[in-house]
Amino acid sequence: MADENATVVLDRVNEPPAQTWNRLRANDITLTVPKISRKGDVYFALPQLFSHIECGMGEKVTSWVTSQAADARYVEVPAHTVREEPIVVAVDTDKGEVADTGVMVRAGATVSIVVAAGGTNAAATTSASLLRVIAEEGATVTITEVVGIGSSQQHLESVGVDADDDARVEVRQYALGGGTVAFGTAVSLSGDRARANVGLRYFADGKDHLDVNHVVRQRGKNTIAHVRENGILDDAAEKALRATIDLVHGARGSKGDEAESVLVFGDDVVNKTVPVILCDEDDVQGNHGATIGTVGPEQMDYLADRGLSRKDAEALFVRALFEDAIINAPEAHAHDVAVRQAERVLGAEVAHDFDASVQLAEDEEA
Amino acid sequence: MTKERTQVADVDRSLYDFTKSEEGYERYADGLTPDIVRAISAKKDEPQWMLDLRLKALDEYHRRPMATNWGPSIAGLDLDHISTYVSPKTKQASSWDDVPADIKDTFERLGIPEAERESLAGVGAQYDSEIVYHNMREEVAKQGVVYTTIEDALHDPTWEPVVHEYFGTLIPMTDHKFAALHYAVWSGGSFVYVPAGVSLDYPLQSYFRLNAQGAGQFEHTLIIVEPGANLHFIEGCSAPKYYEANLHAGAVELFVKDGARLRYSTIENWSKNMYNLNTKRATVGADAKMEWVSGSFGSHVSYLYPTTILAGDRSSCEFTGITFSGATQDLDTGCKVILNGRDTTASVSTKSISKDGGINTFRSSVVVGRHADNARCTVSCQSLMLDNISRSDTIPAMDVRNPTASVGHEATIGRISDDTILYLMSRGCSEQEARTLVVNGFANPVSKDLPMEYAVEMNNLIKLEMEGAIG
Repeated sequence: MADENATVVLDRVNEPPAQTWNRLRANDITLTVPKISRKGDVYFALPQLFSHIECGMGEKVTSWVTSQAADARYVEVPAHTVREEPIVVAVDTDKGEVADTGVMVRAGATVSIVVAAGGTNAAATTSASLLRVIAEEGATVTITEVVGIGSSQQHLESVGVDADDDARVEVRQYALGGGTVAFGTAVSLSGDRARANVGLRYFADGKDHLDVNHVVRQRGKNTIAHVRENGILDDAAEKALRATIDLVHGARGSKGDEAESVLVFGDDVVNKTVPVILCDEDDVQGNHGATIGTVGPEQMDYLADRGLSRKDAEALFVRALFEDAIINAPEAHAHDVAVRQAERVLGAEVAHDFDASVQLAEDEEA
Repeated sequence: MTKERTQVADVDRSLYDFTKSEEGYERYADGLTPDIVRAISAKKDEPQWMLDLRLKALDEYHRRPMATNWGPSIAGLDLDHISTYVSPKTKQASSWDDVPADIKDTFERLGIPEAERESLAGVGAQYDSEIVYHNMREEVAKQGVVYTTIEDALHDPTWEPVVHEYFGTLIPMTDHKFAALHYAVWSGGSFVYVPAGVSLDYPLQSYFRLNAQGAGQFEHTLIIVEPGANLHFIEGCSAPKYYEANLHAGAVELFVKDGARLRYSTIENWSKNMYNLNTKRATVGADAKMEWVSGSFGSHVSYLYPTTILAGDRSSCEFTGITFSGATQDLDTGCKVILNGRDTTASVSTKSISKDGGINTFRSSVVVGRHADNARCTVSCQSLMLDNISRSDTIPAMDVRNPTASVGHEATIGRISDDTILYLMSRGCSEQEARTLVVNGFANPVSKDLPMEYAVEMNNLIKLEMEGAIG
């Protein structure tokens, strides 16, 4: 049993800008995390600019991470450069690591940032990554997050991005299962013509608990945001997803859309979705959609004609998701996390088949 | 060259904005005390169980906080300045000739007697806290249909046990703070019982008029539609405008038994000083169908989310709603659907229009229970912004706990696109005709579901006056 004195409760985590009936228990998540252990220490802080960035999991998580992280890492990408190697944030969840990272992407620069959080379930730990990014005018930022943790572990993944004029932000997230995983992502399209694509693919089974908060605030004129989530829930997994497109007053000519597609396989799954559009401007377009269901009878008939059972069909969807994660893992840490989770869910043979095919494709490309 | 801006007029409330003197009315002191609750109960000569329920609800009201993290502000509502019971000095009549002249004039201006003559099976008219007129066609009564007030039902030995069995069971007093308030001070409303297999050819209608300044209206509607029966019930409401806050906290409990069908149509046009905190809920049996048609045009603040519980297998519901929010209005409306039976289906389609700084929030929840095999639900929400000082939010929630369920949701927010206007103009429409076409087309799916006289009323409410050329 956890020592109560060694933990602290963070409530109203992943709270969206607009909430709904509390009785639905979909407005936020409450997390118990290790208590701030460095009282009296001097915290290593990022430049003050980063403190103004809204992060998806909220202020309480930001405060907790900045006080808990062993260090605060600041990276600057010079103007009009292309950084060839990605900035990698590797979080060993077995060790309960906590990372605090700030990236300043100067005007016209291009960078890829990778967060890889995973472990072997050696210990019941809480890990976290807080990533704050400032994308100056014309910058291009690609963020890839791959999270796959042990069933007794808990991971907090909070991201905040501020994008200036003409900046491009691409966020690709893979939540590949594990005890409790909370993703919070906030992107502010502050500048005119800034664009964001936020994509999440997720898988949760067993008693996994996945909690997601996506917020895109469109403040500049003629901004464009696409948010896509799709995933698979099996067994008794629980998922809550909040996705908000906020069309702020003054964002004339902006377009925002959000769509989620969920396949539910397990009899005891709990699937909550709150897709929100906030609109304080008339000259905008906001759309959202959600589709929740299972493999439909027509799809099943088609697959049955080809000799596939329902279980086979469901397995195909799961395999496709993990294959996508492995293929798109941009560096070794992320790749390892994806392969390890694929092994856990699909077995070592299948995971290594994926891996081999990826290697083959890379070799052919080379 | 000066060009006039294209305009969409605000809701025209002149039809509703007239007041009558309260002289001689019985009006209880402002505020909320056990003595006031006892006085209301005594006035109605209620059974002890109802008084006990009222007092328990009063405690619940004081105990229960308002949620602070969602919904429009109700800071301007002060119960210490609201009278919970105002009654004209008249008895309930079954002939309009017996209704006092000023009250009769009010309902004539609202078109109620005329509608009764032409197309209704029965009418109830509430003025402030009491029903002043109630009547039903003889042939309908002969079918065993009961349409009366809750108060009268409580004094009828046949129906008192029925009211006791159903009253407050679908909307518990613990539901929320203003449900508790409702049960403490409810007055007026309707009790409807439709026997098994009886189908009414014409609708029943209740109209609620709140004339008194600084008062509340707390009517309770209890409708039981027995197996295989069929009813269309219409509810209308309005009030004149004051600068003081008024409050409407009614409750509607609908029991739609196996194989029955109930359509519940509402056109709500409260004045802009009204806090409309109303609660409506239906439970639907096997193979039964619930249909909601809802138009929300008035009030300063609204919290309104009719709820349907699809309890029986193969039960279904449709919700069609439109909300128009203009200056000073913050309307938080939508619906809730709970799918618990097998093979249940729900369809939700809503529209909202915001202008002149009005705020519209569409809020919904779809909950699919663990045993709701093959449940199907679609939600469609469209919002139209007519200027850049208004606001429109959509906040739907879905909670799905059955793997065989299929739930779809879609929402769009935007203004009338220039491309659409230009396309229509290229086919010979003027700009004003084009805009009228688009907005009429936007509202049409709702108006076509309303009874004719209400569709006309709705079109009058959203009186669209298009002027000028492209600016």
